[in-house]
Amino acid sequence: MASAFLLDMTRCIGCEACVLACKAGNQLPVNTQYIELIEHTSGTFPDLVGGFQNHRCYHCADAACVAVCPTGALFKEDGLTRLNPDACSGCGYCVQACPYGVPKMQNGRSTKCDACASNVSGGGSPWCVTTCPAQALEYGDRDEIIAKANSRVAELKDRYPKVQVYGETQAGGLGLIVVLPDDPAMFDIPTDPQPVPVSVDIWKGVVQPVSMGLTAVAAVGAGVLGVIARRNHLAELKELEAREKAGVPAGGSESTEEEQ
Amino acid sequence: MARVDLQITRRQFLATGLAGTALVGTGMGPGRSNLAMRYPDPPWFASGEVVTTYNYCDMCPWRCGIAVQSVNGQVIKIDGNSPDPKSRGKLCGRGQAGVSFMNDPDRLQSPMIRTGERGEGKFREVTWEEALDYTAEKILAIKDQYGPESLAIFGHTSGDFWFTDYFAQAWGTPNAAKPSSSLCLSPRDEASTLTFGFPVGGHEPLDWDEMECITLIGSHIGEDSRNTVMQDFVEARSRGAQVIVVDPRFSAAAAKADYWLPIKPGTDTALLLAWANVLITEDRFDRDYLDRWATGLDELTAHVQEFTPEWAAGITDLSADQIRTTARVMSDRLPRAVIMPGRHVTWYGNDTQRMRAEFLVNSLLGAYGRHGGMYFNKSPFLEPYPHPPFAVHGSSGGCSAEPGEESAELPLGPTGKARADGARETFLRGPTAMQELIDPMITDDPYRIAGLIVYGVNLLNSIPMPNRTIEALKKLDFVLAVDVLPQEHVAWADVVFPEATYLERYDELSTVAYKTPFIQLREPAVPPMYDTMPGWMMARELGLRVGLDPFFKWETIEEYLNTRLRSVGSNLEKMHDAGGVIIQEGKPYLEDFEADDETPFHTPSGKIELSVAELAEAGLDPIPVYEPTEEPPDGYYRLLYGRAPVHTFAKTQNTPDLSAVYPENELWINEDEATALGYSNGDRVWLENEVGDRTGPISIKATQRIRKDAIFMAHGFGQHAEGLTNANGKGASDTKLMSRYKLDPISGGAGLRVNFVRLVEGG
Repeated sequence: MASAFLLDMTRCIGCEACVLACKAGNQLPVNTQYIELIEHTSGTFPDLVGGFQNHRCYHCADAACVAVCPTGALFKEDGLTRLNPDACSGCGYCVQACPYGVPKMQNGRSTKCDACASNVSGGGSPWCVTTCPAQALEYGDRDEIIAKANSRVAELKDRYPKVQVYGETQAGGLGLIVVLPDDPAMFDIPTDPQPVPVSVDIWKGVVQPVSMGLTAVAAVGAGVLGVIARRNHLAELKELEAREKAGVPAGGSESTEEEQ
Repeated sequence: MARVDLQITRRQFLATGLAGTALVGTGMGPGRSNLAMRYPDPPWFASGEVVTTYNYCDMCPWRCGIAVQSVNGQVIKIDGNSPDPKSRGKLCGRGQAGVSFMNDPDRLQSPMIRTGERGEGKFREVTWEEALDYTAEKILAIKDQYGPESLAIFGHTSGDFWFTDYFAQAWGTPNAAKPSSSLCLSPRDEASTLTFGFPVGGHEPLDWDEMECITLIGSHIGEDSRNTVMQDFVEARSRGAQVIVVDPRFSAAAAKADYWLPIKPGTDTALLLAWANVLITEDRFDRDYLDRWATGLDELTAHVQEFTPEWAAGITDLSADQIRTTARVMSDRLPRAVIMPGRHVTWYGNDTQRMRAEFLVNSLLGAYGRHGGMYFNKSPFLEPYPHPPFAVHGSSGGCSAEPGEESAELPLGPTGKARADGARETFLRGPTAMQELIDPMITDDPYRIAGLIVYGVNLLNSIPMPNRTIEALKKLDFVLAVDVLPQEHVAWADVVFPEATYLERYDELSTVAYKTPFIQLREPAVPPMYDTMPGWMMARELGLRVGLDPFFKWETIEEYLNTRLRSVGSNLEKMHDAGGVIIQEGKPYLEDFEADDETPFHTPSGKIELSVAELAEAGLDPIPVYEPTEEPPDGYYRLLYGRAPVHTFAKTQNTPDLSAVYPENELWINEDEATALGYSNGDRVWLENEVGDRTGPISIKATQRIRKDAIFMAHGFGQHAEGLTNANGKGASDTKLMSRYKLDPISGGAGLRVNFVRLVEGG
């Protein structure tokens, strides 16, 4: 059974309760957050359309981050993309590969929403869902969530002519089903998220099994290899970050993007 | 004089306070399962017994009921308390950060007495005995020399009851004030009292469940993070309720609106009068309702004839068509259509009249006491702790004040002095106006205010004209600051009392006037950190040292609370077991009053007063008229301010988790204006008002979401307090740009949106 979030952007009012509930419930370090509210506005005063993007992991079925992860720190479970930080080597490939720009490196480890795996497995809900005052967030069986999203969209057509369900098919089907009030471009979300780059596929298909095999053989030596691999990965990551800084940050010309 | 050994009291707290709290787990199962291998560290809720205590949140004045979860003596997670009518299991971001607020390493940790000059911030740490004895000696000296009225007490946040209400009234000063009155909601509550005979109350009584049209005038739902209102607004809208938003800025709520009216700032009353004109001239109002429940319809009808949509269009920058259409949208849904009474409404100095105009439109819509309109709230029944008669009647008001009638006479202190804020002379009525007590501290007119106790008010970041406040602080004989954090004004205190946060203390019960009146419990999740003390204990210890023993007969706070709870058949243990809340029956609708042959309107006529005789007798307009507001000079913008969703007032900017999410405010300026000035997004600028006060630097947010004649920023930033690691020097301060305000002649409110600023380079 696959689980999924429902995120109804026609309800989200940008209060950021989810951001802080996530930080508190998951005891995240003060400088870490798994959810960001990004404001989007299009048009010219006074003819404006606006909303928030609740930017967070989309939990792709064909998860690029899982595909490139050399250590298995990122893995799929119940249709969601989990992360075991202790297994992360800090290579940063997931940061590069994610079509949504979600995983972040923090203190040499990848970090992102894991759908509150520990809390959910104990019978609770993800912290963001529990607290959302706008009840823009729900969590449950993916098929039921999709059915609910579709019925919402039918109800919302009058108010939002372009309203649509996002996530049913993207990247093999997302674990974050979004009721989007407008075209994905309005929120800087890819209509068809880019497939994992070929170079990464090769890396994943050839290099990773070899290194994993070595790791399995040299049980003691794995630590040494790990350290070397990790050092290399960190160097690559630095280069990646430098490139990112030099490049143009994400953001379309039609919309202004500002962090709240 | 009775004394309590503080050490014993604190030990008793540890022993009885925590043990007396029945400990209940959350019922949440241990969080490890098949994930154990992949998640080596157990989550917090699986690392020990989860203990839940009940509380009401103090991260903003809204007071959501919360369930506080602790493990191994550490508070970990706060959630909305499910049975609480305000939170319903949900909580905003600030409430979620309560643990971060409590664990802020910058907290005041010990009582202190000043060693340097005032403002230098030099103190020595002292024992509570010394701090309390010294404070008692100082305020008794003031009482002896000038009378008890010469001690002013300012208070804010949920523990303010003990100082601003209880201690102040026992001591005998009428000069107790809360910023939530004259710097926030006095105009709307006076307007409501004049029109309906009752104030709006702390929780605006909108009957959301059946509402079909909601109009917001400058109310920033979402950005102000009022939990219950966000829940209700989004639910009503999703159900199909029409949303009309009047705002110079494309706010988060405006982005959800069916009709956004980007009004010219300061012209709202013209719009409201034009709406009334449409409703009346097109016969689109609830005539039967007004015939039965109101007086003054003929006067109102005659009054609004000239205020046509065409007339208002020229004033408001809106089209006559917009005005007419939105009035019809409302009237098509009456009485399930209301304009939400704003909260912070001290804008232009004519604010009571603007709020009156809002209430007249609501009355034309027949909203009061009707399903889907405005219900009548009711305070819960709960007896006070028995005490001797107070030395002075309280008049500090505030958003926690209970609905009631204002007495015709101003309360007098024991030596016969009334409030020093000019009430009845410079303004007609309403609670004590905090900003009007600053001048008397400097001028001794009408009499000397020699001492000041500041409980939780960020003096220099909430009262306009902060330079004047500093002048007053220099002149006072004695200043006591009670606070959790070393806020900017704390450097000006003679004595500092560090307070335990709401998660570390029992407190007065919170009584909420609501559709279903209810009582909220505050019990400690953990004992006070450092050498801090709950506000109730400070007030009591001080009271015992200044001869107020008869008011503090209770030995422990548990005794005080249990005595009060006995009047509703409960006690601390029972209330805890019941989930921290006691809910009573309300009387929300007109039919409930008709059944009892009563009127809900406590005006002189017993009806809604569309025209108010009291105003006419005072030489004021009995029905609101539009008064133009001063325009910004060339090159200047009107300074508008509001909230960022994860911050409250000037209180939370230093809270680590909240500072991390929103570290400093941004300057909203129309994109075309910014371009013309040569600025783009992210540029750092300073702001300067007309008299040369500067604040900054602040980052430009060039946006289409605001009119060209105004700028906007979140309030509470630009603080200068060295002890606040995260907040010090971050962003710009709206308060520091407020070199003037316009006094509302009815309510004593300080109109704060009358300052004009320009962008400059460098400070």
